[in-house]
Amino acid sequence: MSATSSVTSDRPVHAPVNSQIDHDPMHGVEVRPGPIEQFTYDDAVVRKFTFAILLWGVVAMLVGLLVALQLVLPVAAETVIGGVRPFAWMGTTFAFLYETEWLSFGRLRPLHTNAAIFAFGGNAIFAAVYYSTQRLCKARMWSDTLSNLHFWGWQAIIVAAALTLPLGFTQGKEYAELEWPIDLAIAVVWVGFFGVNFMMTLLTRRERHMYVALWFYIATIATVAVLHVFNSLAIPAGALKSYSVYAGVQDAMVQWWYGHNAVAFFLTTPFLGLMYYFLPKAAERPVYSYRLSIVHFWSLVFIYIWAGPHHLHYTALPQWASTLGMLFSLMLWMPSWGGMINGLLTLRGAWNKVAADPVLKFFVVGITFYGMATFEGPMLSIKSINALSHYTDWTIAHVHGGALGWNGFMTFGMLYWLAPRLFQSRTGGLWSKRMAESHFWIGTIGILLYIVPIYWAGITQGLMWRAFDESGALRFPDFVETVMKVMPMYWLRVIGGSMFLLGMILCAVNIMMTWTLRPSRYTEHVQSAPALGPVYRDPPTPGSRLHANTEFGHKGDVFLQGRWHRTWERLPVKFTVWVVIAVVVASALELVPMVVAPMFSTTWREKNIPRIASVQPYTPLELAGRDVYVAEGCYNCHSQMVRPIWAETKRYGDYSKPGEFAYDHPFQWGSRRIGPDLARIGGLRSYQWHVEHLEDPRMVPGSIMPAYKHLSTQKLDYNAIQRRVNAMAMMGVPYGDAVKGSNAATMAREQSESIAAEVATQGGPTGLEDTKMTALVAYLQRLGTDLHAPPPADAGAGK
Amino acid sequence: MSRNKAADPLLNHEYDGIREYDNPTPGWWHVLFLLSIVFSFFYFLYYEVNPESATNESTLLAARVAETKRIFGAVGELSPDEATIQAMRGNAQFLEVAAGIFIGNCAQCHGRDGTGGTGTNLTDDEYKNVNRLEDIYSVITRGAGGQAMPAWDNRLSQNERVILAAYVANLRGSATGGKGPEGKAIAPWPPIPAPEKN
Repeated sequence: MSATSSVTSDRPVHAPVNSQIDHDPMHGVEVRPGPIEQFTYDDAVVRKFTFAILLWGVVAMLVGLLVALQLVLPVAAETVIGGVRPFAWMGTTFAFLYETEWLSFGRLRPLHTNAAIFAFGGNAIFAAVYYSTQRLCKARMWSDTLSNLHFWGWQAIIVAAALTLPLGFTQGKEYAELEWPIDLAIAVVWVGFFGVNFMMTLLTRRERHMYVALWFYIATIATVAVLHVFNSLAIPAGALKSYSVYAGVQDAMVQWWYGHNAVAFFLTTPFLGLMYYFLPKAAERPVYSYRLSIVHFWSLVFIYIWAGPHHLHYTALPQWASTLGMLFSLMLWMPSWGGMINGLLTLRGAWNKVAADPVLKFFVVGITFYGMATFEGPMLSIKSINALSHYTDWTIAHVHGGALGWNGFMTFGMLYWLAPRLFQSRTGGLWSKRMAESHFWIGTIGILLYIVPIYWAGITQGLMWRAFDESGALRFPDFVETVMKVMPMYWLRVIGGSMFLLGMILCAVNIMMTWTLRPSRYTEHVQSAPALGPVYRDPPTPGSRLHANTEFGHKGDVFLQGRWHRTWERLPVKFTVWVVIAVVVASALELVPMVVAPMFSTTWREKNIPRIASVQPYTPLELAGRDVYVAEGCYNCHSQMVRPIWAETKRYGDYSKPGEFAYDHPFQWGSRRIGPDLARIGGLRSYQWHVEHLEDPRMVPGSIMPAYKHLSTQKLDYNAIQRRVNAMAMMGVPYGDAVKGSNAATMAREQSESIAAEVATQGGPTGLEDTKMTALVAYLQRLGTDLHAPPPADAGAGK
Repeated sequence: MSRNKAADPLLNHEYDGIREYDNPTPGWWHVLFLLSIVFSFFYFLYYEVNPESATNESTLLAARVAETKRIFGAVGELSPDEATIQAMRGNAQFLEVAAGIFIGNCAQCHGRDGTGGTGTNLTDDEYKNVNRLEDIYSVITRGAGGQAMPAWDNRLSQNERVILAAYVANLRGSATGGKGPEGKAIAPWPPIPAPEKN
């Protein structure tokens, strides 16, 4: 078929096909080239990943739209325009969005983030890796079985996530919410199926040197494995319940080491690999600078891993760690921009093609958003800027610029380039190029309509939270005022997000219609290339270019010429080991003093996380309440961290101390304040207030919080409480006699009854004994109160 | 960047048709990268090695001291007795400060206008734990009714609690309606003193 051959021969016209390259100083000698071998590429698995991108892309963005609507609808119903409430119908029509247990914002928001990152983004990465690796290695994936296990395993994990998260099974750590059995499955699929398959393909390749895209894939696979394993370490306390082995400050440190590097090694490095393959292919232009690739790759890998603590500025994290996080983020600016420069400058001389080709348009805007996000990231990690931006929508705008602009658009560009080739389109092209053009414009405007208002909202919130009047009082002491102020911005986000979703749907339609243009049977083009021989002689190392200098200078100059790197590029194992060393050494320099040393040394513990004698473990009932807090995803809207900033202590009370979180497995500091901070909420409201507020948050006018009526009817499982207390005790939480027999269960029952009685006495609802409501309220009433409590005479359980 | 692309040295290797130029990394890129490293080195030295540098806590403390001095500098520490609270009831400047404290901390339960909610109505003549002006201060300080009314001694300074007591006393009779009476009616407060000059 002539159309087929036209799309499969992607070789740029100017690329030499000769093999007379021995004279090139960058090339060594194949001493004994292997025999010519014939092979085919496995495009079937890439097609599967492509379908998965479309499906999960639509799902992730639909859930995103849903949670965006949940933030505006409650107040919309109350909005008065010209004396009437035109949107009152929304309040009743959409009441189920606030009252249905498994539809609440706190449970769906993790579903949205996980689906966007790991389902949409993940499948995009896999499609890119499986398509390009085979061609860059001149080898079929090592094992079709592993490829398929990887594909189906990953989809099963996504389905498990989509079921468990709305049901409230979560570890309560952002972007790492999935419970321990799913975490184990992720480790097996990622390392055992994907990692092994990829590395074995590298080892059986027929291309001597690894192209830069492969370096980024190596960094992705190795680092994500390390991050996932160490962040997910947990003690199971049931089939779908576990507690992080780290507590408080240490858990926060590990979580944001993971969280930030999920951005780095899940959303950045694989997409840079994608860029390095698909951009020059689509533009038919050589990559701008090989040397820049080397420098920015290694600087990115080594520096990124340190930057995590910038998510914890002004928190109870020791200041030195926060400072390191800020500084390494600043140093990350240029390594990140190296990728942008190499991408954009590759298009020199091809800008006329950009005007005509939607694929290149997506890539140009995607790379531009990458540049913007990687400038903004270092800027936001400057402490004084972070003091304003943290916990506000500014962060949300930042990540959506990155996710929609960079990850989304790079994926779309790749999809439009791949589809005609993967599906061997009869027309040789997409079903509709015009539709792809429309998608580009709708998507671009959608992103802007999303992020610009949300930047505005974020800065507005930040400024309102810190505004004082003449008398020295907060100008907006009611938190809810600062929420209502940004409602118009939230509506614009709904519009922008809808447009982006519409674009995604157009993309899905276009790709599926292109699929209908496939031939009755896909042609598997037979490739041929010589196997790699056992012996390869590197070109001679160049001499120093310097004349009058020390020996050290000469050595340095030889190093800077980078020929050694050319050698590394043909040694995948060595290359991988060095990537792992870079990542692990950098991680260890932060994590050992912060997380490991304090476990074994009192000196290190007192230095970083000084104990506070009055801070005691939660009572069994409070622990159960904490589990409810985690399961409902309260941390998605409420922080538990009063920063040592005047406006903040004025609003919330004394700033949080590291020792206050000694028994918090996992930490619940949060990253966003859609509602007020709760670190010092304990004792501030009556039991009755909490119960009535949780049952109907609309008692606070303007509140957009979901209702938690179900907690007043759902019964506590006291046996589970005993198991959970025992699991905590295993990690060294001093529960004393509570772990014996069913002591914890008895203590929990007694406390639940006493709280139910207290609520009834204060005039609240009756009959709350043994309900999850009493547990959650018990937990809330405990929050932040230990700091000023008298130290206990004995070290029993609870206070 | 503006270099004639014909002069770009093309490396003689290709991967699946992809070629690479041997262009040098841009000079400004090197300069900014090095500057960020040098800046970071000295920043770390200054803030993390130098014992004299400001910390988050010292900055907060300085802000607190400055603000306390700005608001209460002229009066020093207010004692929580009847005479002081009574005097504060006529001090417009401090009452304004107290109003901010009330909105920020008390309005959630007692209502922005003091007519009550989950908390008692502060505008009527009935009180549960108060007979004299300084009792208002005690209830604010130590709380009441189990945990229903929290203790504020960890959150508000003594001066803030004194002027808040004056503000709460003035709420009495300032509005009608709201939550029904709780506790018993008590004798009226002394008249609000004439405004002091600030």
